[in-house]
Amino acid sequence: MPNCHRIDPLVTPFIDGDLPESERRVVEEHLHRCPPCHSRVAAERQVHELIRTRVPALNKAQAPDSLHAKCWDIARLMPQPADAAHRAAMPSAQASRRLAPYALAASLVLVVGGAFVYQATDKSARVLAIELTADHMKCIALNHALGTHDAAAAVESSMASGFDWPVHLPDDPAKAGMELVGSRPCLYGEGKIAHIMYRHEGQPVSLFMLPKSARPAELVEVLGHQAKIWCVGDRTFVLVAREPRANVERMASFVQASLH
Amino acid sequence: MARQGLTQVSPAFEAEALASLDSLYRAALRLTRVPADAEDLVQETYLKAFRSADRFQPGTNLRAWLFTILHNTALNRARARARDTVAVDSEIVDRAADAPPAGGPPGKAETPESLLIRDTLAPELQAAIDALPDAFRQAVWLRDVEEFSYAEIAEMLSIPIGTVMSRISRGRHMLFERLNHLRPVNA
Repeated sequence: MPNCHRIDPLVTPFIDGDLPESERRVVEEHLHRCPPCHSRVAAERQVHELIRTRVPALNKAQAPDSLHAKCWDIARLMPQPADAAHRAAMPSAQASRRLAPYALAASLVLVVGGAFVYQATDKSARVLAIELTADHMKCIALNHALGTHDAAAAVESSMASGFDWPVHLPDDPAKAGMELVGSRPCLYGEGKIAHIMYRHEGQPVSLFMLPKSARPAELVEVLGHQAKIWCVGDRTFVLVAREPRANVERMASFVQASLH
Repeated sequence: MARQGLTQVSPAFEAEALASLDSLYRAALRLTRVPADAEDLVQETYLKAFRSADRFQPGTNLRAWLFTILHNTALNRARARARDTVAVDSEIVDRAADAPPAGGPPGKAETPESLLIRDTLAPELQAAIDALPDAFRQAVWLRDVEEFSYAEIAEMLSIPIGTVMSRISRGRHMLFERLNHLRPVNA
């Protein structure tokens, strides 16, 4: 029978479920006969299980949006791979910051891009969600759009002049507790997509519309945000917010229902 | 689209790396305890990670690699600030880690787990974790919150696997003692 000293190095992997069956049985047999070790293991296990139970609360702290934006900037300062077209789609924060005061006004004066082939559809849902979420954070943080309010009709008509496809928005977003605060065309992949910004309970929410692409519906968690992806016809919609899944699903269903 | 060739930072690598930002930030907060320092630490981590992206071995755990850079960076910063303190601190830590964990009074350790879980709120637990000495806090956090393997933690902290396990064990017992003291006596 192993003594307590021999059991020592096995205790933590035993609690963590990392021991092979044979060693696990050795520990169990020892614990059965040794009350001090039994009580020591019980104490350690309680703490392990307590922490595991509290992980969602312990993980509540999230990096500030400004840090997310800075780290994306750091990535952009690195040498560019050959397929630079992808990066050109996302303006650098420096450029965005310079443009910030004009961003909302600029979004109302769109240059018609003509027909384009949207080629970003081969990206995985996760990569798409990460890229759009980064865009969401940048546009919201850098455009200071949250103090404004826009009417759906005004945004529709301004966006209509910039796209060769009609942009329809929900008529009464207030029904879902949402307020339309801005819009801008985003360069993405090989073409242009619509980025509509809302406010929901004081928090920014982005709705992206990607033409000529289709993919399965999915809810992806990225960068501390939830991104709900769905399709209607040949158009993909992505709703991004840093809110609980249920809220994001609710807003997405509202948008989906009101666009039919 | 060509995604191979990590001498340059590919968008896929970049996106996957940045997906760990929140958990790196939380680990940095545990290390520095100061939000502004944690932000600096995370930025430096990404700067180093993207600079040396070609040294990352595809197929291995990118998240673990980032945590290794984070801990090395934190260690270098701490060393730069106070060489002597760190040296003394790590000696104490290793002696403490080698000591057998205290069994605690038998009756108390038999507390049904539901009671400790019921009576310990997240803020208390967070405070107790933050009060642990650095080495134990890091080991417990990386294992129980971030769920890294012993081998990954050993790599991150540059210590043998056996030391990782003894620090986790010792850290959990310290938490048990502290939290049990906080529990209402007649619970």
